[in-house]
Amino acid sequence: MIFNADEAHNIVKELGYAFRYCRSSSEDFVIESVLGKADYNHNKVNQWTAAIVEQSLTHLVKLGKTYKYIVTCAVMQRSGAGLHTASSCFWDTTTDGTCTVRWENRTMNCIVNVFAVAIIL
Amino acid sequence: GCKFDAGQVQQVLEGALASALGTMVYSPQGSAPLAQSLAELLRSQAKEVVPPRYKLVCHVLLGQQGQQSLLVASRALWDPESDSFASATFSNTSLFAVATVHGVYFE
Repeated sequence: MIFNADEAHNIVKELGYAFRYCRSSSEDFVIESVLGKADYNHNKVNQWTAAIVEQSLTHLVKLGKTYKYIVTCAVMQRSGAGLHTASSCFWDTTTDGTCTVRWENRTMNCIVNVFAVAIIL
Repeated sequence: GCKFDAGQVQQVLEGALASALGTMVYSPQGSAPLAQSLAELLRSQAKEVVPPRYKLVCHVLLGQQGQQSLLVASRALWDPESDSFASATFSNTSLFAVATVHGVYFE
């Protein structure tokens, strides 16, 4: 069983398509449907990140593969400051994988990572 | 066997971040490889205190200290009996770092 990073990437992209009323070419749809045109709002960031990770996880589950998933989401206010993210994993490289989606609008940056870890039943 | 000890892993992460970053200054060119090497360092240090048969995912965010706000969230689909995670943060006047390690039992 091979982890399909493209599939995971497309899920994150296509999920919010049903919620969107404006067509966009290659936007990242889950994030777009949650953050869309909003401005960074410290009081709402909690529910935004929760919505993004929950929706991503729900759709990964629908793939129906025997994988455990870890989804992380970081939302940062745009202020000109630099940000780097990196990850290192100890796993089985033949079956496990990861994909990352970056998104931004005028006031904030969003980075979503999906890690899929295979289990043997 | 034993289980993923979140408290212990968190202490390891905090110690490793503090000693690796200490008085480090943020630089755009240097911070990208620094973030990667930090992720690898934390992953190998966490591996030493985690029981066998655990797969690890270590994620590091390294940023410039400014006036901005940042929130990191994660959610996982796993077995809550055996799987867990730990996280730690570090900051000085020039930069900040957020590290999380998720441990997933390999059934």
